[in-house]
Amino acid sequence: MQLTIRAVGEKAQVLSHLLAKNPNNVYERKQKGHLVRFFYRLFKEKEVEATIFVTPDPIELSNSRSNPYDITHYINDREFAVSSIFCSFIRNALGTALNGQPKEEYAEWVHHPFDLHVEFGPIVSSLSDKQMHELFDPLGFSVDITYGETDYKAKLKDRSTARFLSIRGIKTLRDTLRQLFILIPVMDNYKHYYIDEKEIEKLERYGKGWLEDHPMREYIYRQSLRFKDLYSMIENKEAVKEAVKQEKKVRLNDLRYEKIINLVKQVKPKTVVDFGSGEGKLAVRLGFLPGVEEILAVEPSESASLQAIRRFEKVQEKIGFVQPTSMWGSLFYYDERLKGKDVIILCEVIEHIDEHRLPKAVEMILHEYRPNTFIVTTPNREYNEVYDMNEALRHTDHRFEWTRPEFEYWCKERNKDQAYELRFDGAGEEHEQHGFPTQICVFTRKGAGI
Amino acid sequence: MNISLPHAGIVLLIGPSNSGKSTLLQTKIDQGEIKQSEVISSDAFRLLVNDEEFMEWRDLSKGEVLYAKELYQRVSQEAFAMMDALIETRCRLNKLSIIDATNLHPDDRKRYVDIARKHHLPITAILLDTEESVLLNRDEARKHPRGKRRVRQQYQTFKREKHFVKKEGYKAVYTINTTKEIHVHRHSNPLEIDIGQGIDVIGDIHGCFEEMIALLEKLGYVKNEQHFYVHPEGRRFLSLGDIMSRGPMSLETMLFFCRHVKEGLAYMIDSNHGWKIARWLDKRKVTLSHGDERVKEELDLFEVQNGKEQTEEIKNDLKEFLLKAPSHYVLTRNGSPVLVCTHAGIKDEFIGRQSPAVQDFCRYGDTDGLDEKGKPVRKDWFTGHKQQTLIVWGHDPKPRPLVINNTINIDQGVVFGGKLTAFRYPEKEYVSVQAKKDYAGVLDNPLTEWEKARLNPPNIGAFLNGYSVLTKELGEVQVAESIVKPAIDAVSHVTVPIEQLVYIPPTMSPTPDTSAEAGFLEHPAEAFRYYRDHGITKMIAEKKHMGSRAVLLLFKDCESSKKHIGINSLGVIYTRSGRRFFSREQETELLAKLCADLTKGGYFNNYETDFVLMDAEIMPWNLKAKELISSQYAHVAENAVLDRTALVEKLGISHGNQGQVQDWLREYEQKLENAHTFKQVFQKYCWDVQTMDDIQIAPFHILAHSGKTFFDQPHIWHMEMNRLLAGMSDYFIETDYKVITSEDDEKEVIKWWEEMTKDGHEGIVIKPEFFVAHGKGKLIQPAIKVRGQKYLHIIYGMDYLEPQNLERLKKRNTGKKQKMALKEFALGIEGIERFVNKESIERIHGCTLAVLALESDPVIDPRL
Repeated sequence: MQLTIRAVGEKAQVLSHLLAKNPNNVYERKQKGHLVRFFYRLFKEKEVEATIFVTPDPIELSNSRSNPYDITHYINDREFAVSSIFCSFIRNALGTALNGQPKEEYAEWVHHPFDLHVEFGPIVSSLSDKQMHELFDPLGFSVDITYGETDYKAKLKDRSTARFLSIRGIKTLRDTLRQLFILIPVMDNYKHYYIDEKEIEKLERYGKGWLEDHPMREYIYRQSLRFKDLYSMIENKEAVKEAVKQEKKVRLNDLRYEKIINLVKQVKPKTVVDFGSGEGKLAVRLGFLPGVEEILAVEPSESASLQAIRRFEKVQEKIGFVQPTSMWGSLFYYDERLKGKDVIILCEVIEHIDEHRLPKAVEMILHEYRPNTFIVTTPNREYNEVYDMNEALRHTDHRFEWTRPEFEYWCKERNKDQAYELRFDGAGEEHEQHGFPTQICVFTRKGAGI
Repeated sequence: MNISLPHAGIVLLIGPSNSGKSTLLQTKIDQGEIKQSEVISSDAFRLLVNDEEFMEWRDLSKGEVLYAKELYQRVSQEAFAMMDALIETRCRLNKLSIIDATNLHPDDRKRYVDIARKHHLPITAILLDTEESVLLNRDEARKHPRGKRRVRQQYQTFKREKHFVKKEGYKAVYTINTTKEIHVHRHSNPLEIDIGQGIDVIGDIHGCFEEMIALLEKLGYVKNEQHFYVHPEGRRFLSLGDIMSRGPMSLETMLFFCRHVKEGLAYMIDSNHGWKIARWLDKRKVTLSHGDERVKEELDLFEVQNGKEQTEEIKNDLKEFLLKAPSHYVLTRNGSPVLVCTHAGIKDEFIGRQSPAVQDFCRYGDTDGLDEKGKPVRKDWFTGHKQQTLIVWGHDPKPRPLVINNTINIDQGVVFGGKLTAFRYPEKEYVSVQAKKDYAGVLDNPLTEWEKARLNPPNIGAFLNGYSVLTKELGEVQVAESIVKPAIDAVSHVTVPIEQLVYIPPTMSPTPDTSAEAGFLEHPAEAFRYYRDHGITKMIAEKKHMGSRAVLLLFKDCESSKKHIGINSLGVIYTRSGRRFFSREQETELLAKLCADLTKGGYFNNYETDFVLMDAEIMPWNLKAKELISSQYAHVAENAVLDRTALVEKLGISHGNQGQVQDWLREYEQKLENAHTFKQVFQKYCWDVQTMDDIQIAPFHILAHSGKTFFDQPHIWHMEMNRLLAGMSDYFIETDYKVITSEDDEKEVIKWWEEMTKDGHEGIVIKPEFFVAHGKGKLIQPAIKVRGQKYLHIIYGMDYLEPQNLERLKKRNTGKKQKMALKEFALGIEGIERFVNKESIERIHGCTLAVLALESDPVIDPRL
């Protein structure tokens, strides 16, 4: 992590006063075990060049970060990349210049524009070169970007993820440094400290006079004040698309739940199992079904189960609500607690499981747990046409999506012994040609007597 | 008069004061026939709790007497409470307690009968029927006479009570008039047998007489002139019961055992069928079913052939024999119990005891009502077995001997067409004879049912709240609830199916101590020292490949896979986290090629196996780790090189050539070299993969074949198998290795290690000669990795060799890592043993799930 400042032209040597660094000495200070170093490369009448860099203690650096049980914790870019850590290390050394408070007799030079050439890096950023230009161009800099080498024997990556920036402009030293102190953390993919009010104050102080009018102001703010979450402009644009998709999805979810509730209602069950209940959205609706005495919400994921429990607790006071019992369970284990229930539901679960693992799990449900009614829902692949999705699946974790004939065939295969009656149905807005977005099969055990 | 005392339990003396109880006991103590500590006297306890030997109230006023009596009652109550607690304790420890108290009141006696029954121990009563005049005379002579009134009162009570005693449930009741001619006979525990020259325990025979004779002959028994089967070494055989019913020759078998047991050549324990036949022979009302009716048919036929008289005779003999059969036997060596033999099960607290409750449990096991088909639902009694003693049992037919929770089931269902198995003790070997046919011919053949149930999904209840796995190598390994759940989540979402997930390789510790040499973090010397310190003299050093660890389960054909794990495929290849290594398409292609290569090479035929399970490393590294390499290692290398190149350039010039800057320059020239080293190192393990033919597989452990594991083989054997495989398929590559038996060998290995690691090779793994190795009786590390100086740049960071860094890194601690490695190793072996023994998926899964759970617990420095 390094920063080189070069000034050319008349009175370039004033820079040493603005920096408050004696050209005849080197500067070295220890900051939490890391070394902050500064030296002049050139100190000529019309050309001054100084470099400040940090030699970090890699062990100290890894000790101070969380998640020590991941190998990536020990091999990472933090000891090289310019980042908020770098800025905080060099802040003291460059304090005079940043604050624009040199000795009285040089005060006027604080506002003097020099022909400044600043190189810094490496930069680890998800921003494109173009976006970097968009950050520096409005400030009056020309930008030059150098990439790291990717001369690997094997094809590991197309382009390096390490960049070095070189910017040039007629600028005051104070403004240049202040802008870098804000923009370096903005570009960097990480941030090493928590955001608090100080950060807002810093933005106001260092951003005075330029940030308000910067075309990327909003983005700079958001990036500076982000809390762990990494937003990028790209993701931001995608978010709009995502939101549209999301809305569609939410509506379909609701319609599907509604449909399932209606199907369940018809069989007047006392006991219902929601297998793969996730965050408990369906289970909570089942809790309001009259006549239902027990709902088992079965889920193998801890985080989802916790959300479900919170969801159940929120409504537990409501009249007529039967609080679902959250249970740790899995389709691949036998669980005697699920035996002999009235209804078992697999709502949008099977498509998340490798197809070859399904038959045995379903066989266990149909022949060991033996519910009177078994309801399975899964996406109808044919309907993806309506969404203009081409070959894509609706979710990255979907292992498959079936057409209606595929689903029908699969269901019938599960009922080879004819122990159940099968009825096919759907949820969502029906399309003339492609059917429902969600397809449903209701297995009713023969002789169960509904 | 002879009095026989049981080995344990309670002996109740009953008699008024002065009847001679204490005197009798003292005499026997003096004669050494009973121990002082076996005598529990109420007088002694009164003294212990109240400091007074005797309480006098003859000279007291009326009011004082009332008070004294009340006090006496309180003292008595406390004294008896203490005394009873002591008696119970002695019962629990299987000791004999002789109670020296009057025991005149039925309530008192009932209390002791109950205690004995509760602990499944016998209780004996000894009545001291002494004349009233003698009692009175003796009382007067005492230091603290009880008084005529009290003595008379007690005598009256005794006279009344002694008639009831017989019906109170004692094993024996003795009445003695005089203390002079008493002979005490002490019994040892009838359930205990010294193992002598060895015992052969035989599973359920069910009238399969021919198979039984074949088994005895296989075990080395020879028929002598009197038609007894005797062993030349003096071994004896012991039947776990159910010698009759269902099968063809029950009568012959029963008569055979009856004779051999009487002769002291054999033993037989009680069992459900045995007990049924015994009661039938005893003319009690029973329904003969489940094959018991065949015994009657045989006896009816016998009667037709031999007449009524002879039939009645043998019926009577058999009745006596069967009714007398003990519930179980405890085999002892030098007086210590070593093996318990029972028919259907036993509770730990029943071992060595006999009572109706114990007999029932041993005959039927732990049953929990009846199922839909009217069969008893069997509960897994063995889960309650906590003691160290091994229990061998039968009753519940299984295709193979089942070792579970320190118990062994050896009923291999000979009558259902399975096997008749003997367990040789102390050799702990199995000897089996195949049934000539399925004699029972029932529809729900338990062996077939068992095979079907074997592949059932595991019961989540067995794991969900945390559990433990009893491993052969390391005893019980605990798996906490908190780490089980994430593992179940993984198994439900990302791993290969449970049936295929038979083994997860253990983690491996690096050298326990860091290198004593400057400039090295790890060095072979510390690995050698670890093994030498643990008494290992022969080691092997194997070149460590740098790729991704994989488990290969390869079947010779799809049918074999279907048979063993119920899945129709040629096998599976998965990572250490249980995930499929390749995409399904790639895997199918690779499995087909490997299967063809191995079949062509004759592997499956030569080794008579349906499958091979192996531990391997698959290269290149980027095959599985491309994302990690690109976003982590390559990314860091690019940043480091970019940063340091720029700084070296900047530091090349300084205003006024300052010396300090020169130092910085030298520092950064070194750092830049470190960055280049780092960049070279990880690339060494990467190459482009265009087709499946570009990958390499280095198998280093052949873990299992059909019915066989290879944990008893030395690593040299595994390496030879590795070479054999490399010769059969181009996918397999050989692994270089060296054997170490001397210091010179060690030096040579160090040289070898230095050379190979100089250009970035990962390093070597040092292993003890044998797969499973012990030092001072304890399991020791099965392998220790020694990574090269260069390689470690990608683990500890590119500047790790800088003295100020290395010094700190040398303070690492591998203790936790070593413990984890041992646990996972023991679990891995256990799981594979269960797999080859065709145990249920649930039993195998218990082991693999445990390793996944342990691995999900982030407590270990990942750099180790």
